[in-house]
Amino acid sequence: MSFLQPWLLYGLPLIALPIVIHLINQRRFQTIQWAAMMFLLAAHRMARGYSRLRQWLILLFRTLAVAGLLFAISRPLASGWLGVAGGSRADTTIILLDRSPSMQQRGGGTGDSKLESGKRQLVQALETLGSGRWVLIESTTREPHELESPRALLNLPSAGPASASADLPMMMQAAYDYIHHNRAGQTEVWICSDLRESDWTAESGRWSTLRDAFLELPQQVRFHLLAYPQPAPENVSVRVTEVRRQTTSDGAELVVSLRLSRPGVDEKTAAKVNVPIQFEVEGARSVATVELTGTYVDFKEHRIPIERTRQRGWGRVSIPADANPADDDFYFAFDNPPPRRTIVVAEDPQAQRPLQLAASVSPDPTVQCSAEAVDVDQLTTIEWDQVSLVLWQAPLPTGPAANLMKSFVDRGGQVVFLPPRNLTSDELFGMRWQSWVAENDPVAVTSWRSDEDVLARTLSGAALPVGQLEVLQYCKVSGDATPLATLAGGAPLLSRVPTEQGAVYFWATTPSPRDSSLASSGVVLYAFVQRALATGAAQLSKARQIDAGATDSESASTWVRLSEDEQGLSTESRFQRGVYSAGDRLLAVNRPVSEDNIIEVADGRVSGLFRGLDFARVDEQAGNLNALIQEIWRVFLVMMLIALVLEAALCLPKVARTAGATA
Amino acid sequence: MCRVLDLLLAAAESPVMFPDRQSRSFIDTRVLSRLAGLPLFARRPMQGAVSGRHASPHRGSSVEFAEYRKYVPGDDLRRLDWRAFGRSDRYYVKEFEADTNLRCCLVVDTSGSMGFGSTGITKIDYARRIAGTLGYLASQQGDAVGVACVAKGVVQNIPPKRNAAHLRQILDVLEQTQPKGETQLAAVLHELAETIRQRALIIILSDLFIEPEVLRSSFQHLRFRRHDVTVFHLLDPLELSFSFRRPMRFLDMEGGPAIFAEPNDIADRYDKALQAYLTDLKKVVLESAIDYQRISIDENYEQALVRFLVSRAQSKGLR
Repeated sequence: MSFLQPWLLYGLPLIALPIVIHLINQRRFQTIQWAAMMFLLAAHRMARGYSRLRQWLILLFRTLAVAGLLFAISRPLASGWLGVAGGSRADTTIILLDRSPSMQQRGGGTGDSKLESGKRQLVQALETLGSGRWVLIESTTREPHELESPRALLNLPSAGPASASADLPMMMQAAYDYIHHNRAGQTEVWICSDLRESDWTAESGRWSTLRDAFLELPQQVRFHLLAYPQPAPENVSVRVTEVRRQTTSDGAELVVSLRLSRPGVDEKTAAKVNVPIQFEVEGARSVATVELTGTYVDFKEHRIPIERTRQRGWGRVSIPADANPADDDFYFAFDNPPPRRTIVVAEDPQAQRPLQLAASVSPDPTVQCSAEAVDVDQLTTIEWDQVSLVLWQAPLPTGPAANLMKSFVDRGGQVVFLPPRNLTSDELFGMRWQSWVAENDPVAVTSWRSDEDVLARTLSGAALPVGQLEVLQYCKVSGDATPLATLAGGAPLLSRVPTEQGAVYFWATTPSPRDSSLASSGVVLYAFVQRALATGAAQLSKARQIDAGATDSESASTWVRLSEDEQGLSTESRFQRGVYSAGDRLLAVNRPVSEDNIIEVADGRVSGLFRGLDFARVDEQAGNLNALIQEIWRVFLVMMLIALVLEAALCLPKVARTAGATA
Repeated sequence: MCRVLDLLLAAAESPVMFPDRQSRSFIDTRVLSRLAGLPLFARRPMQGAVSGRHASPHRGSSVEFAEYRKYVPGDDLRRLDWRAFGRSDRYYVKEFEADTNLRCCLVVDTSGSMGFGSTGITKIDYARRIAGTLGYLASQQGDAVGVACVAKGVVQNIPPKRNAAHLRQILDVLEQTQPKGETQLAAVLHELAETIRQRALIIILSDLFIEPEVLRSSFQHLRFRRHDVTVFHLLDPLELSFSFRRPMRFLDMEGGPAIFAEPNDIADRYDKALQAYLTDLKKVVLESAIDYQRISIDENYEQALVRFLVSRAQSKGLR
């Protein structure tokens, strides 16, 4: 329980008043010399039962009456927010609002979503508690907005549902910055979230930094977590995994692949359900039914005929509404695939030839592929806006060439480095070639990542024959990279350097026959090159699928909304799902894939994140009508009255006895 | 009889007769005059030394015919009933009741509790009045009178004698005695039962704040010694009604622990305890064949004495 006027609780010692009065009354007893003590003693012996209990009850009720009065005027609150106890009116109240799609999951009761329930309960609680200033930091922009009153939270567009993920550490950082820069006094930070691990990234090192920063603040900061951790086990989500336009003999068609998932169910006991999927392409609708038996099903290569003349467009995939409407539809945009142009920079002709071949042979007749071998000196003459992939088998570039590569990757381009014959000490992307290692016997590949990235299984589920590769020579490479394939002995064969955009790969060998069998058994090399090329080309496509919140506000300022079923401010476009036109490009904005992950942060982990801070948490449910905090002084007043009535009843004098026995 | 009354009157009025006492506040000569016509009878035969008005267990020469008895050699021939011989040709001796005096022993409880009184008179004052008056009446009719003041033990004991000067001594003792100490009445009665040799009228004046079952053996002991036992159970009206209105601290007049009490809370239980005690006591006195007089000390002691004397006389068959 907590109190709005907690300092009045200093009067609690007054509950001893009845005891003190009792003791004073004892001192005011009239004293009499008495002869018939044997009857008094007998009466006292008989008084050990109910009468003594009655005395104690009277004292108890008097004490309760005083305590009830004190509690009532202290304005108690009914809630689990123990952290509010003992606090006075905050100088600043900061609301960290998680607007991510998972917060749109609806619950029982009113059918409100977690977000709506959280806002309503926050409004009620904050209006009760009061504050000098209210500040909203929502999960999309993470910019502090001062509110006139908590009630503004209900109608504020920037507090509504969004399709972008939340980044709780960044929101906490924004709160810290606000407190630090505005020198706020006593501050309450209210966090409303559903505790998704993807939003909280509890394992991130940023939390410890934040915690230390908050601990060093001179002012008192209290954290209150309003958590909605309950997942909806039967919720089904839809996500388009691939869409492409292709020409057929009698026209054109869209090839759509998608995934239906319900990760909350038990794989073994999950009931089979038929999910009708509605495809809507430029106003034309079609329906297909997919049987969902486990936690997910991939619906691949669904073909939707379109007009031959329609080169580009957009569409939407929908499933029937369920617990979370935010993941029941998915937008996509399509266009003729752009030409796939590859730049090959190779010093070894025996390596250059296989690379060029792999990049220039298109897997799809409708897609044009070209590979151009150039020298380092010619790099500046290339139109990089049309290049999807760079294959570099030469010493690592330096100077302007290195800057070109960096800007190319930042634009989303793909770069693959292969070791040169003559090694240098130059470094790029934090990587450096070290030394060649020649083996007498071919070295096999012992492990590789077949679940994702460029060596993943094919659409049919078959694994690439990476294990059949034979490596005769390989070059050691140093730097911070993620191994995608590893040779016997532990040396990486293929590594990927983490970058924010694009991709940078380092092969430890070349397709040259004296180095490996990459060229002779060319499936792996071809699949690798084509996948990297496709990814790079996708960045050049006029129709792109992007995650909500993944672009900056400046580039989104010119977007024009094409899909009309979602409404919102234009400034919110980059956070709201839908299809937008940006110049000559079509952008399909959808929730990030992390939003389909229902894993939540464990309770103990949440507590650990706030260890050392003044932190309180309460778990709520979506659709709950109960107020988070209620003033319950009336309850105490009633309790006081009841105590007084009971005390009076116990103190009532008994019916006068008949005259005592006489002789 | 007149001689004794004169002595008492003189004692009440003349400082010369009793130079150490100006008066005896517990003796009311008007009450003595009014009660002079009511004799104090014993309910049981007494073994007095002289002739009196009380029945004796022996045959004597009173006018009260007792029985015929067959003559046996050695009987006084003068007591042969010749008329009966003439009618039946057998020898009978005619016997008559013997009248004798009694020994009246006044046992006055002088424990601390007897000092209580809420109506302007304490129980010890009341006991003095009854004891003094009964002593006078007994002495007036020629009976031997003694007094024993008892508390934790026998505080003072004057054996019964039958002269007027002895009565003065008894009155002195009654006047001087003060309530003090604990009550050990049961033990004291056992002691008196053993020390009073001849049959006597034992009049106990006490508030009897002792468990009735403890008193039972004492009464039975007295009865076993063939004493005629009378108990004046003196109680204050406040002890009976317990009509306090405010919280009280009760100090034990016999030195026990003090008790804080809210009278409203314990009045019922007090009354219950009192009634249980009185019931038990009544049962004990009935089973012990004790003459029991319960008196609230706000009652006029003259009325109480009249009731007592009349009941005695009625049992004797005079009225």
